[in-house]
Parts: sequence; C-alpha cells; structure tokens
Amino acid sequence: MSRRVVSLDINGHRYDLEVEPHRTLLSVLHQELGLTGTKQNCLEAECGVCTVLVDGEAVNSCIYPVMKAQGRQVTTIEGLATKAGLHPMQRAFIAYDAVQCGYCIPGMIMSAVALVAEHPEPTEQEIVEGLAGNLCRCTGYAKIIEAVSAATEEMRG
Amino acid sequence: MVQRAHVPQRVVGRSLPRLDAFGKVTGKAVYGMDFALPGMLHGAVLRSPHAFARILSVDTSQAQAHPAVHAVVTAADIPTDPAAADWREDHPESRRMADTEKPPTRYGDIVRDNTLLAKDVVRYVGQPVALIAATSEEAAREALRLIRVEYEPLTPVFDAEQALEPGAPLVHPEWEKYEAPEGMGRAGNICSRTRIRKGDVEQAFATADFIVEAKYHTGIQHQGHTEPRVAVAAVDGQDVLTIWTCTQLPFNIQNTVSRLLDRPSGTIRVIGLGLGGGFGSKLLLGGEAFAAALTLRAGGRPVRVLIPPGEDLQDGYPRHPSHTWLRAAVRSDGTLLGLQGRIILDTGAFSGSGPGLASVATLVLCGPYRTPNLDVEGLAVYTNKMNFGPMRAPSGPQAAFALESLIDEIAERLGMDAVELRLKNLVSEGDLGPTGQVLTGVGVREALQKAAAAIGWGEDPGPHRGKGVAVSWWTTTGGSSGVYVKLNPDGTVLLKSGAVDIGTGAVTAGAAQILAESLGVDFEDVIIGEADTGSAPFDYGAQGSRTTVAVGRACMKAAEDLRQQLLELAGELLQAPLDALRVGEGAVYRVDDPAIRKTLAELAEFSLEQRGGLIGRGTFIAPPTLYDESTTTNHFYPTFHSPSFHAHAVEVEVDPESGEVRLLRYAAAQDVGYAINPGFVEGQIQGGATQAIGFALTEELVYGPDGRVLNPNLTDYKMPTIADVPRIEPIIVESAGPYGPFGAKGVGEPSVLPGAAAIANAVARAAGVRLRQLPITAERLWRAMREAL
Repeated sequence: MSRRVVSLDINGHRYDLEVEPHRTLLSVLHQELGLTGTKQNCLEAECGVCTVLVDGEAVNSCIYPVMKAQGRQVTTIEGLATKAGLHPMQRAFIAYDAVQCGYCIPGMIMSAVALVAEHPEPTEQEIVEGLAGNLCRCTGYAKIIEAVSAATEEMRG
Repeated sequence: MVQRAHVPQRVVGRSLPRLDAFGKVTGKAVYGMDFALPGMLHGAVLRSPHAFARILSVDTSQAQAHPAVHAVVTAADIPTDPAAADWREDHPESRRMADTEKPPTRYGDIVRDNTLLAKDVVRYVGQPVALIAATSEEAAREALRLIRVEYEPLTPVFDAEQALEPGAPLVHPEWEKYEAPEGMGRAGNICSRTRIRKGDVEQAFATADFIVEAKYHTGIQHQGHTEPRVAVAAVDGQDVLTIWTCTQLPFNIQNTVSRLLDRPSGTIRVIGLGLGGGFGSKLLLGGEAFAAALTLRAGGRPVRVLIPPGEDLQDGYPRHPSHTWLRAAVRSDGTLLGLQGRIILDTGAFSGSGPGLASVATLVLCGPYRTPNLDVEGLAVYTNKMNFGPMRAPSGPQAAFALESLIDEIAERLGMDAVELRLKNLVSEGDLGPTGQVLTGVGVREALQKAAAAIGWGEDPGPHRGKGVAVSWWTTTGGSSGVYVKLNPDGTVLLKSGAVDIGTGAVTAGAAQILAESLGVDFEDVIIGEADTGSAPFDYGAQGSRTTVAVGRACMKAAEDLRQQLLELAGELLQAPLDALRVGEGAVYRVDDPAIRKTLAELAEFSLEQRGGLIGRGTFIAPPTLYDESTTTNHFYPTFHSPSFHAHAVEVEVDPESGEVRLLRYAAAQDVGYAINPGFVEGQIQGGATQAIGFALTEELVYGPDGRVLNPNLTDYKMPTIADVPRIEPIIVESAGPYGPFGAKGVGEPSVLPGAAAIANAVARAAGVRLRQLPITAERLWRAMREAL
C-alpha cells in the first residue's frame, strides 16, 4: 500500500512521517515514535488504556486514524510533566495510592485531565462520567476518584 | 474481641508512596507490551475451530513458502513427541547435557496431560495447533490462513456434570497413560478426587433438627488484565535463550520452557518486565514457549508473540466454572452439626491447576466454622472447553458462594439473624480448622461485626432493598523466596529478588519497606532490581497472596546478614568490639559515643574496593502447618498457612421492572495480620471486592452449543467500570499471623472471596427470590422474580 505524508504535533514536537493511510494514531505513537507511555489492549475502543488528548479532548487512539491528527495538537502522558515537575494529576495519583499495576493509569490520567478542562469543579458524578470509558481491573476506582478530586482542588489554586 | 489500633513503625505500617509510582504516572515504566528488539519478528497462533476432533493432517508448505514467513512450528517440531531423537538430530544448534533423558511428551502442574501444540487431537475450540513467525503481525496472520489442517470431528462433552455420567465422551481416552502422582482418584473424566472427612456426618444428619440442602453454580470469570499477554524471545551469542515477558513467575516459565523444548534450564533466562495486571493468568505460559519455539526455528532471531484479548478470552486460564451440592445438619438453636457436600470444578480440556484447586476448594467449602462433622469432596473434571486455571483466590469464590448462600438459607429456615447465626458457629482463637490445624490470629468475628455495622445491619433498608453478609477464610501460600541485598557506595540499597510486583505493591512498597525498616535506611534509598532468573535467587512467584510475607521475611534475613557484615567491618575499621556497636540511621556507631561512626555509604565504598562488596542474603520458606492427616484423602492442600479471615457486607437495591441490581453500600473487612502499607492494603481490598462484584453480577464467558465462546471481547464480557461500583469501604482488621513480618498475613487475593455470596444474600432479601447461579444478571433475576409471582 502506498504511503502518505503526515505532519504531527505530539506534545509540542513536530514529526513529519510517511505512513500507510489506514494506520491508527496509537500504532504510529508506538512504532514510528517509540512513545509507549500510551498503552495498547482491546484495539476496539472499549477499555480506554489508549486515551490521548487531541486538541484537549480525550480520544481512543487505537481507533483514531493518524491522518486525522494532521493539524491538531496531540498530548500523550509523556507530555504532561514539565521542567517544573509533574502535573498535579500525576502527583495526586501517586499521593492517593491510586496506582497499582499502572497499565490503565496513563489513559486514566489523560481522561481526568480532559475532564477537568471541561469541569474545573467536577462533582463525583461528573468524575464518574468522565472516567467511565477507562477500565481499571486493580483498584476498584475509589482511590482514583479521591486522587482526581484532590488534583482538581489543587488545580483550582 | 481484642481491638487494637494500628501501630506504625519507622517505615513499616505507613502508607508510603510506592517506589515505581513515578514511572507509572509518566509512562516511563516498561511493560511486556512495550518491549521490542531490533529486527524483531512477529508471531501468530493457528487455533482449532473444533471442540473435539482428530487431526488427520497438517500441511504447512504454503505457509513456509510465504516470503514474509521466517518460521513455522507444529507439534511435530517440538520434542514433546516420542520421536524426539529425530528432533535433536535436526537441531544441532541447541545445547544438550550429556545425560539428557528422553524428553517428556506432556507437561502439567500435577497431571502431565498437556502439550504445547495440539498433537493428533484437538480438545477445545481455540487450542493452539501451529505457530508462525513473520516480518509483521499482519503477515503472520495472513500466513496462518495458508496452513491446511484436516480434522475429523468427534463428539464433545461440555457440561462437567454430564462428563461424570457413564457413557460420556472421554476427553482423554488415554488418561491412564499420563504421568501423575499416585492416589489422585483419577478415573475417566475425573482428573482428581479429593476429600475431607471428620467426625460422623451420618450421625449428625440423623440427629439434626433441620437439614438444609441446595445446589449452586458459578460462571467463567476471566482475569481481565488490561495488558495482554506478550513475550519476546531471542537466542544470544552464548546460546542462551532469553525471554522477556510480563510474567508473575519467571521461574515457572523457565522451568516449563526447559521441559517443553528439552533445553537445559541454565540456558534459558526469563526476565520479568512490568506487568499490567495478572490475577493468576500470567503465572502460566502465555506466549513465552511459543516465542521460544519460534526463535529457535528462526535461527535465534527475536520473535514477539502477542496474545490479543480476543484470543485470551477463548484460550486463557479463567476461573473454573463450578457445580456444588451442599447440605447442612443443624440444631434448632442454630448450631451447625454437620456439613456434607461436593464441589465440581470444571477444569476444561486439560487438568492444569484443577487437581490442586479441587483440594483448596474443600477447605473453603468447610468455611471458618466449628462444624464438628464433615464430609466434603472436591472433584476436577475434564470437558471440551479451554483450560481453566488460577484466577485470584482460585476455587475460593466458587466454594464461598455455595457455603455462604447455604448459611443464609439456614438462617432463613430457622428465622435467625444471618450475622448471629454466623457468630454462633465461627471459629475463635485456638480452635481447630476443618483438617485439624490449630487456628491462630483469628480476626473473623471482628471482621464480620465491623462490616455488618458499617452498612447498618439490622436497620430496615426499605422496599426493593436488602442487606447481605458473607465470611470466608484463605491461605498465605508457602513456597520459598530468596533475596540478595547489596549496599551501594552512596548508601542506597539494591533489593534483588526473583519476585515480580504485579501491581499490589508487595515488592515496591511492602518488601522494600520491610527491608528499609530492618536495615535502618530510608525507604526512598531502596532500589528494586530486575526479576531475572539469570541473576536473582528463586522466588515461588506472585501468587497465593504470598509475596509481601515471603519476600519481606527474606529481606529481614538478608538485613540480618548484612548487619552482621557491617558490624564486623566497622568493628575492624573503628577498632571496636562488635557488642559496642549498633547499626541504625544509615550508619554503624559506638553505643557509648555515637559520634564515632562509619556511614553505610563509607563502609560500602571501602568494601566494594577492598573486600568484594557488602551483599546480604536471605531466604524464607514458610514453616509447615501441622494438621490431622486422618481427615484428608488425596489432598494436595490440607491446610491454610497463616490464614486470613474476611467478611463482606452489602446493601443492594433491585429494580423489579428490569432485574438490575444496584449496589448502595459495600463494606469489606479483612484480617491482614498487620498492614505493612495500609494504603495499598486498602487498594487490594477495594480491587478484589470489585472483581467479586463482576463475578456476582455481570462477568461470564458464555459457551455456545458448538463449544465456541460467544463473547470473547470487552464489549460483551462485562467488567465493572467506575460507573458500576459504589465506593467500597475497606476495613482493616489486625490479628497477628504466626510468622509473617510484623505479623502480616497474605492480602492480595481474599477480597474477591466473599463478595458474591454477600451480594446474592442481599439480592435474595431485596427481590424475595434466591438465585443459586452466578452471575446474577438482570435477565436471570427478572425471570426468577416473575416465576416467583
């Protein structure tokens, strides 16, 4: 199959790639860019471990066509921390023991960041709705909810 | 009932953040799925479309000719074949020991009935028949279609109870030829028959005021780890075959691959990478042996084998479905006089862990009760379905569902309060267990009373609502764990063990905290080494809730060893007798003048250059638990070591229109002995209870009439999301165990045990009708409520 050129903005870095047009954003993040922080599992948008932000909105990168990312800003887990340190959401997940095996965590954190951008003071119900597409098999979600609540408080200043 | 407040130590007993959290929240942590090598090939697995069939022929010639294909492997290529000598001659590149015996034809935990790839016969839909390695995953799957297999279908058997009937198809007609220990009670489709007998049940039933009897059934629950199973294998210049994989037990992979491929285990190295959930599934082979077989076939070139979730849901090791018949002899005051029962674990097409678990099930089925007369059987039975296996507290939730449902049915019959009935019969400190072991650290009453109080037991919940409780007990699995502890010249400490932290925090919090406490260093100064069979001491694996206890005690021994080395070296350098010195606060100092000291860093630096380094070593093996051997027959698991006790209490609301169950309140109490890290202990309790909720209400792999799984995907296999569970209230109870570090007992599995029974008991009250089959889906409950009208 012939390849097409796509110009991607991932975490503020620009990558010009030639890929087959049917490729997904997730597979390009992994194979061409070596950014394995975003995880792979069901490949059918059911579990959410592949969640990244595209122009600030949470999407399942496993079914997101890479060509569609052209001209948009993609943020992955690798792009959250800055030189100043970890993102408040990352710090809260550590502090509230919300991390067990950790495989769902990058996707969970990205969904939480998107949630807070839309709901700066989320109720518990809004947190639940915002994270309903992210499966966790380890924690039972309680400490994740606590971490997200605590982070949103800190982010409000 | 002694209630003691939790007492934290300097490091242990505190909810410190785990050492691998930073890597996990930044995406830096490397999991099995993230690992890749240059030039890596990709594997794919050809699977049987039949539940039971003879293989007449396998033609791989077209696949071999595919330009992207580098290796094709079938059963004929693996030395699990009587013609293994020919295989050896064809593969001179593989190393052999001079006295290698004839290679095994089959492998298995206890009964050696399994082969890596199907040979002559396929016994379940999805059973692996052939492997391909190609330059891409797509090419490998494309090439699978070029393999021609001719099958002759046979008549399968899918139901374990039917498999016991005379004239049922034999899943393994040649079962008598298999290598297995003596006295397992094997016969036809029964691959293990085990029994606990105590006292005189006949007498108990003859003199009972009430006899309550019922049958219970549970469904197939998959581990549902969010990271698929994956492995990469390659052979290096020293002819060492390395396997990088997300495994819970590197040493089992090493051992099994060695046996299967007839390759000395010293030439196989297994490295346990980060693991995205295991829950038992990753204790056993996933893609590791496939990748190993393929790399050997491809001249040592790296091969990656990924088992996608859709395949794992058809060929994983999910929880054994069960059928339990149980009856109790009861006095009118609620005393349990006798218990008689039989639990059948449907073990699928191969025995696997079935025989061992049939034994474990009998202990759970007797429960933490004082019942003096027992006759309880456990059977593992073959059917033409996938090989069910170890899932978190394997066989526990099945047996607990049956027992704790029956206990509630007894309470209903007697008009007695369900908590009171339990308190009347539960064991206390010093009582004997079902097989006569002396029970210590018995926190079950405290757990039950606290859990019940947390949901307002006794207060009427209102229409369409109900409350339920359940209790259980479980083991802290034994097996040995060794560690090396190396002091670095900067004062940091390397903890090198063969144990993998599968997400519980058992190593990256628990054992590391125990090490820091014992050595007098800061928790943040502990560095966790890689779980590598090549360089780490043996560890029996992250299974059976054993890791914090076993690796923790091994760390304490290694710390003792290191302390002695530190004292001797400091004594020499400070010219002081050993009893004048103390190790603590990162130094060795004179007791009478603490300013006279050498820091651990200084000692380590000196030793590194002049004495070969300061390395401590410790090994821990759980002491045996004594019991009455006359109570057990063919039993692989006669006692629960350092047992834990648990109680869950739930309040539910049932929608009479739809049969949906909503969980309003959920309290999960667990006697952990001592909470080494309370935050992560709570996390285990909440996580396990959530899996119990799935097991109770929504999770089930469904088999169709042709033996095919109908829902092998995450849309139709329904695990609880954040929207499906209440905030589970974890209640930590501490009743010190006999030998765990600081009194700790196994934590990881128990919280999945009693939940389904508690929910079923609550639903029975809320809906006015009792379901004895799991999961209690809305459809099943709705039908039952209608039928009851």
